[in-house]
Amino acid sequence: MKSHWMCSNMVRCLGDGNTSLQKLATSIVFFFCLSDVSCNSVEQKIYVELNNTVPCVRLLNATHQIGCQSSISGDTGVIHVLESEEDLEWPLSKGPNPPYMVLLESSLFTRSIMMKMKNESNRVAGVAVVVPNTSPPEFSPHTTCPNENTGVYSDNYGPNLAHCNTTVWNPRGNGLSYEEFDFPVFSLKEDNETEFIKQCYLDHNRAVNGSAPQYPLCAMQLFSHMHAVTNTPTCMRRNDINFSINPEMVCDPLGDYNVWGSIRPYNDTVFGHKENESVVIAAARLDSRAFFWEVSTGAEGSVSGFVTLLAAAQALREVTHEAPPTRNILFAFFQGETFDYIGSSRMVYDMENGKFVIDLDNIHSVLEIGQVALHSGNNLFLHSDPVSRRNNTVNDVVREELFSSFFPNVSQPLPPSSLQRFLRAQPIPGIVLADHESAFNNRYYESFYDNAANLNLTYPSDLSPEEQLEFVTHTAESLTDVATVVARALYKQAGGDESRVNTIKADPKIVTQMLYGFLVSSNNSWFQAVMAPELKNILTCVHVLGYLGLHCFVFFCLLEPSPPEYYYLLANLTGAATNLTQSQCQKPDELPNESRQMYSYLWVQGIVPPNSTERDSFCVRASVRLTKAVSPAFELGEYASKDYSTWTESRWKFIKARIFLVASRDLEMLTLGVGVAVLFTSLLVTYFISTKADVLFSSTREPASAAY
Amino acid sequence: MNLERLPNEEKLTLCRKYYFGNVYNVCVWGFAFLPFLWLVNVVWFFKEAFVKPTYTEQLQIKTYVKCSGLGFLLWVAVLTTWITIFQHFRAEWGEVGDYLSFTIPLGIP
Repeated sequence: MKSHWMCSNMVRCLGDGNTSLQKLATSIVFFFCLSDVSCNSVEQKIYVELNNTVPCVRLLNATHQIGCQSSISGDTGVIHVLESEEDLEWPLSKGPNPPYMVLLESSLFTRSIMMKMKNESNRVAGVAVVVPNTSPPEFSPHTTCPNENTGVYSDNYGPNLAHCNTTVWNPRGNGLSYEEFDFPVFSLKEDNETEFIKQCYLDHNRAVNGSAPQYPLCAMQLFSHMHAVTNTPTCMRRNDINFSINPEMVCDPLGDYNVWGSIRPYNDTVFGHKENESVVIAAARLDSRAFFWEVSTGAEGSVSGFVTLLAAAQALREVTHEAPPTRNILFAFFQGETFDYIGSSRMVYDMENGKFVIDLDNIHSVLEIGQVALHSGNNLFLHSDPVSRRNNTVNDVVREELFSSFFPNVSQPLPPSSLQRFLRAQPIPGIVLADHESAFNNRYYESFYDNAANLNLTYPSDLSPEEQLEFVTHTAESLTDVATVVARALYKQAGGDESRVNTIKADPKIVTQMLYGFLVSSNNSWFQAVMAPELKNILTCVHVLGYLGLHCFVFFCLLEPSPPEYYYLLANLTGAATNLTQSQCQKPDELPNESRQMYSYLWVQGIVPPNSTERDSFCVRASVRLTKAVSPAFELGEYASKDYSTWTESRWKFIKARIFLVASRDLEMLTLGVGVAVLFTSLLVTYFISTKADVLFSSTREPASAAY
Repeated sequence: MNLERLPNEEKLTLCRKYYFGNVYNVCVWGFAFLPFLWLVNVVWFFKEAFVKPTYTEQLQIKTYVKCSGLGFLLWVAVLTTWITIFQHFRAEWGEVGDYLSFTIPLGIP
């Protein structure tokens, strides 16, 4: 989710690129345009701005930079619509008007084409990818072995399992997201603007009968100049230099918040080891990414997992109040797992250094929910770590889990999961639940196609949005079953009453509402009911969740952290509604039985009762907290760390795209030449005239008389 | 200021002032702008020193102009070398390059 607490620089926040000066300029132009009825701005006659574009941005880590960069004044190229891979010859070698701006259909957005263009990048000014509404058969720009260097498997720990030697988790991965391009790559939707671009190409740029196309040609200009270079230590060092006139921040560390909640509350001010406290951790990840900036939804990659865990948390609420289990259950939602496990590495670091409410020794076991989308007919599989299971105590605990009849494969390593970071610190029994036995079933892992359609989330066409919200889809039903299984397993693992296990059931209505909210539209009545009133604007501005970046909205930037949807959801699903008034909710410590140290108190909007327009707001008390999810490398100042994530995102001034017609270079040079010639001629004439001034302007007056 | 109208002693004084760099009696300025003052000296007094027919002060003026010229060329050589080296190697010097820079260009190494 977006992190706002890093946006301390209001200039960046106020417009995400539009500096205040530009805004002033545009408002002045606008004012003048309004006063003149027929406003003919020359700029509007030349350029057509493209509005629905998404850029690819630059990210840096300890050693490399990835992503795309444009030059500071934009990259201009003659548009060429690529028809096939063989057609690449035209922009790369045969075309007479380099550099070219290549427009690709998504079926041609493959590794081989992008690599060929990267090698000939002096003839390629940029790439625009048209993203269709229907997904291709498979596409994953992530690497084949996600997070291979920051997991638990290394040369010291299970060397034959490291670097995906036994199982390649993401075989469809083409690694494009981790390549560096020195030209801009933008994505366009399939809409009127793209049709306009293609029409412009057909009108002007097509070669007729083998001869070169004539000027003027249709060209596109892409601006996405990134400020950071080289790697994270360099850009963090440049952030800190402050003796120049205009200190500029060039990059920001990726980071946001983890959300955690527990059955029995913990005192938020008492950190470190707790005696005789044994905790079962249930973990899921929140984030995902795509090749382009902030367009990821991660339906199968992350939403399926955390929605299941939220539903399981809700299913356990009742039974844990009536028959509390012996061990506590802690639900942990980690943010930033895509980028070398930012959230989980931070939580493990906090536990190791006594900055979290419990310690690593307090953990009894970990159950993690991985990708559980359960496409038709798939089963659930358990993954465990073979190396730690050689330890007998660990092995016994793992075998005691509910699924004792499903033995995990002992020769296969754990898939990329937060559990790996826990194991890196000390051997803890843990299981990862997933719908894939070895390689991922997800055909669009960490891609912009991992959306509702990937989960087969379909609604009957005649439903209104409110009805869609309530409609229980097949996907929701299967995820509900998984949530029930998870809840029962957690209850048993925590030592709960065996007789009550079968009464635990997850609620399909909640699951389907969450799926609708996270994958279709977050501006729905249920989400609004569980959130605080001041978040209304956030819900209308953004509809894509999941990318862990730093983004300030155009309209305002909250300098205070705004708790994300998952925080409110977990609080509503595991907490209890109270009778406190709004002012009491903000200051609960004045009341005898309430304590802010033990619980969080949230004022939520509530639903609108049928016969009124006012919302029924109330105060929710829940043992749910937010903890910072910034990599320990930034806390420690070790920007070149090999143990922790060091990902940062570059800053930029503005990002835009436009198309226009360009004239030939010869015409431009001719115009310039004529202008220079006129200048020199006029200088010459002036000099001539001034030297012969007395001859040319001789007056017929007699010379002045001697008296003067 | 038109040199034509000055008497020769005043021309010598001016040339000496520009050579030592204390025009308007501000030594500080002269020190910093020495190469430019020397350039001014050479250009301005070149005709006086070498083209005009001999007069008494011309020998001293010639010395000053020659020394100014040499000094200026030395400065140019030193500055050009340092600027070329710095611009070429700043990116490779990493941390040292960044601390020596006054403004660091964005988006390039």
